[in-house]
Parts: sequence; structure tokens; C-alpha cells
Amino acid sequence: MINFIQFTLTRFFLAIITLLIVCFIVFSLMELVPGTCAERYLAFKNTQGSQITYEDIEAEKVRLGLDKPFLYRYGKWVTDIAFKGEFGNSCILRMNINELLSGRFSLSLIISITALLLSYLIAIPVGIISATTKYKVVDESLKFISYLGIALPNFLVALCIMLFMTYFYGDTMTGLFSEEFENVPWSADRVKDFLSRAWLPIFVLGWNATAFALQTVRALMLDENDKLYVMAARARGISGMSLLWRYPAKHSLGPVINSIGFDLNRIFSALPIVALILILTEAGALLIEALARSNDQQLAGAIIFLLTATIVFVNFITDLILAIMDPRVRKGVMGGS
Amino acid sequence: MEELLKINNLDVKFDTDEGRITAVENISLSVKQGEVLGIVGESGSGKSVTAKAIMQLNPGNTIYNDDAEIIIDGENVIKFTSKEDLMKIRGGKVSMIFQEPMASFAPAIKIGDQMVEQLLLHKNIKKDEAKTISLDMLTRVGITDTEKRFNQYAFELSGGMRQRAMIAMALSTMPKLLLADEPTTALDVTIQAQVLKLMKDIIKEYKMGVIFITHDLGVIAQTADQIAVMYLGCVVEKGPVNEILKNPKHPYTKGLIAALPDVNNLEAPLKPIPGNIPSPLERPTGCVFRTRCPHPTKEGKEGKIDMKLVEVEPGHWVDQCGAKCG
Repeated sequence: MINFIQFTLTRFFLAIITLLIVCFIVFSLMELVPGTCAERYLAFKNTQGSQITYEDIEAEKVRLGLDKPFLYRYGKWVTDIAFKGEFGNSCILRMNINELLSGRFSLSLIISITALLLSYLIAIPVGIISATTKYKVVDESLKFISYLGIALPNFLVALCIMLFMTYFYGDTMTGLFSEEFENVPWSADRVKDFLSRAWLPIFVLGWNATAFALQTVRALMLDENDKLYVMAARARGISGMSLLWRYPAKHSLGPVINSIGFDLNRIFSALPIVALILILTEAGALLIEALARSNDQQLAGAIIFLLTATIVFVNFITDLILAIMDPRVRKGVMGGS
Repeated sequence: MEELLKINNLDVKFDTDEGRITAVENISLSVKQGEVLGIVGESGSGKSVTAKAIMQLNPGNTIYNDDAEIIIDGENVIKFTSKEDLMKIRGGKVSMIFQEPMASFAPAIKIGDQMVEQLLLHKNIKKDEAKTISLDMLTRVGITDTEKRFNQYAFELSGGMRQRAMIAMALSTMPKLLLADEPTTALDVTIQAQVLKLMKDIIKEYKMGVIFITHDLGVIAQTADQIAVMYLGCVVEKGPVNEILKNPKHPYTKGLIAALPDVNNLEAPLKPIPGNIPSPLERPTGCVFRTRCPHPTKEGKEGKIDMKLVEVEPGHWVDQCGAKCG
């Protein structure tokens, strides 16, 4: 037990350090892009027809605090996030980022995490069956379906389903809400409406993720099943499901759990393209917009930071799960018995 | 004494992509209560496959011949298909100790939990009784601080300790027959001697039958009553251990004995058996040893003599081809 608490604290401490390093990298990247926020905003205004002078830029810089040194601004950015939960203002949109992101980021997370959980819920048992089944046909067809999931690009799947839905149901299934629920507060009906639409991006993202996870589980299971301790357990008379779950399955899941954080990142990265096609108002699309179109470093930084924080948190949790499941992790890290 | 195990005319073949491979051909062996049968041979001679056949642990592509019998308690285990029947032999009447004590414990399950799991499966007892039996057994094999070890994992124990725990687990269900597949090969020599002594004591105490598989004739000489020498899936010579070691008839057995280092003359070069064990895909016809035989007879070299054991002394059987040229 002492071991475990020690392990948890160490991991927590490491997670915080990781997060600080990530913060610094994100902030530095924001800084590296040529031009400051003030220049970019005024250039934007210039295109709208206003005459901008050099003094205007200087005044704007002072107003935004951009005349202060780099480390000072970094410190302020981090402490604002850590203690106030404030991400500041978007450079181009002149809006508070918290307001801009409110709802959107959590929607992205809900879609990504649901896709992730579903993919693992399916991939783990199915992968185990696929690896251990006596029937080649089952294994081969599962392999085929999962290769399709890897091979077909997400956007293509999304487009196909949209086409199908439009043709048969007369609804494109775009957006996350139907018109009447778009801008109303959350209610039971709104949740229902959300679910009736959200299954599409979840399905598209989940298929791909499931296919990957399935292949991983299958390969790990095949590997584990050949190990001597499984034969030794069979030699002791253990058979059937109690053999399968307690021996090879339990021992092969470590690397699968380890990859959850990585998978979440992959799903989140795939989300903006799907969101673009399905016209979803979520944070991934906003990130693309901020990075590629409007060069809005403040906004992009906030989203990237939130995403990384989520992944660091997920990794922390998976580390704990792994430690609970596998004594080698728990005791190995703390230096034996 | 009563025969615990009788193997009659056993062939074991594997269906692989390269074709059907013969791993064991027409062997007949028996083990009596309280008797230790040593099976000696190089890697690939079919020793482990034979042991796994007794527990029906060979993989799904294994093919047994129709008239093969592995009789334990009057039942032919080759015909066993149901989970209940298989459980009777696996861990019930027969236990197995493996070569790698580290690899034969599940790494993420406590040693005690694995012992208790097996006991609950085979004996009609409660969990705390199973724990008591396990702790007693651990003490019996010379493990101290058993309560602590019970709650530890295999990776926390030393090699010798793990093998002791493995023996304790194998014996806890009181099997009639113990299969020991190179149980001391992975241990260093001093630990090996301790584990061998422990095994001998326990065999005597519990009066079980034992099949001791090894490639080490020295270990066989110390532990076995009977010996069977295997080469390429065939038993080439078998009989009482003293008789075979003093009066070997088959050139392969002679080669194995000659290959042992001479303690009185350490300067003498080691005498290996010339040649390599052929691939199972290129099994010689007739006498399987003919490709490596140092002075074969003419018919033997041409593969015209079939494998067949003949009794040269009471209880001492040798392959007929080997008996002629040896």
C-alpha cells in the first residue's frame, strides 16, 4: 500500500512537471511565429480599410502587455491558467477564449473519449476472441473489418454515411444539434438530439480507433498465449474462461492500457477533419481555423494546452491502472520489495 | 508393484505448413509407483513432447495414432476430450514441473493465489484450508518465511526458491505421477544439487512415480531407477539405470556416456557424438541413428533394418540395429 501511494505521488509529480514543460513549449511556439498579436490585429484591421500608423501598433502592444519581457509574459500566462483558469483573449476575434471555447472543448472531449471508450470496450474482448478462436473464419472476417477501419480515411466514411443518410432519410446529419436545439440551454431533449447526431462522428472516429486497438490486442494475445506460464496453468488443470482472462488476457493488456493516452491524441487529431465535413462546432475545427486561417496564436495555444493537459491526465490515470494490474510496474518502479 | 503409467505404441506427429513431422515414433514406456524413470536425449529427441502427451498439452495440430495408449489408472488419456476428464490428469493425478521456474509462474499473480487456485480446482476444500496446505507445502520444500512468500510474485524470488515453490505447487494436490521436464537445467550447480536432493526426498516420502526428463546423464545417475534413451523420437535403449550406464549396448548411449567429462583426467578432450541431429523433416528411414552411427553394419547404413527393441539382458532393451553395430 505504501508502495502504491509512493508510486501515485511520484507519477503525479511527474505529470505536473510534464505539464509545465508542455506549457513552456506551447508558449514558446506561440512566440516564435513572426509578428506580435498587436501587429496581426492591426494588419487585419488594415485590410478592413482603416489607416494604421506605427504609433497605433506601439499603443496596442502596450495595451496587450507585449512590451514586457518573454519570461514575464510566460509566467503570467501560466499563472492565469493555473490559478484563474483564464486563457486571455483571442488575438483576432477579440473575444475571451474561455467564452469562445466554453462547451466546444468539452464537446470535442465527449466525442473523442466516447469513441475511445467504445473502441476499447469492443476491441479488448473481440481482439481476445480473434486471437484465441478455433474458427479461422471468425478471425479472418474480424481482421478484414478491422483492416477496412484502418484503410478507409475517416472523411470518406463520413461522406459515405452522409450521402446514405441524405438519400434515405433526407437529413445530412451535419452539425451536432438540429436547428431547434442549436442555441438553447441543455435539457433532456437537447441531450437526446445531441446523441441522435453525435453517433456519426463517434462511429467514424471509433471504427478507426477500434481497428487499431483490435490489431494490438490480437497481436499481444497471440504472443502471450504461447508463453510457458500459460501452458503451466493448463497443466494445473485450469481451463476455459478462467484460464483465458486470468492468465494471457490479464497479462497482455498492459501495453493496451498504456496506449490509451496516445490513442486519445490520435482520435482528437482526426476529429477536426471529420468535424469539417460534418460541420461540427467543436474545438478541433476551431484549432484548425486558428492555426491555418487566422493565425490566432492565443487561441491555438489554449486549445493545444487543454488537449495536452487532458492527455497528461489520461496518462496519469492509465499509469495508476497499470500499477494496480501489474505488480511488476508497481514494485519495479519503487525498486523491488 | 502397480504400474501407474503405461505408454503403448505412441506416435506423435505434428501437422505443419512444411508437412507432417514425426516427433515421437512407436514408444512404449511404463512407470511404477515409487519409481523414477529418467528420459535422456538431445534437444528434439521427443522427450518433452512425450511428457506433454501424457497431460494432453500438445498443441492443436498434434496427431496421435489410433492404437496409441497412454494408460493412467486404467483410462486411456488420449481419448479424453471433456474438461472434467482432462482436469483429472492435469494437476490431479499428474503434475508437471517445468524447466524455467520464472516463466512457469504467471508474473502478475501471487504465488499463493496460483497455489490456492489449483487446490480449489482439484480438492473439495475451502480457501483457508487450501492456504494451510500451500503454506505447509512451501515449508516442506525448504522455503522459510512462508507467509511472506505466499504473498509474493515470482519475480521477487530467487531462481532456486522459485523452483522450490514450483515443486511445492506441483506436489500440493498429491499427484500420483510427477513429470519433471529438465527441472534443474536452468539452475546453477549448487542450487541444482539442493533441488535434486529435495526431489529425491520427496519422491521417497510420497511414493509417487516420476518421469525425470533431462539431457544430463549425471543427474539421471543420481536420481533414476529406470532409464530410457531417446533419439529422434524413438527409444533406442531402456532398462535399469545401473545396467544401462555400466553396460550400454546402443552406439548412441555409448556416445552419450563417452561425452561426459572425465573427473580424473580433466586434460582429456571431450568426445562429442559426431554429426548433428537431423531435421525432423529429413528423418532417416530404418534405423534413425544410422546417419551418425560411428561403425554401422551394411544393412543398417542402407536403412534396411527397422526400429525394434530387443531384450539383450533381463529388462535391458536395445534397438535391434544398434545392438548389432554397437
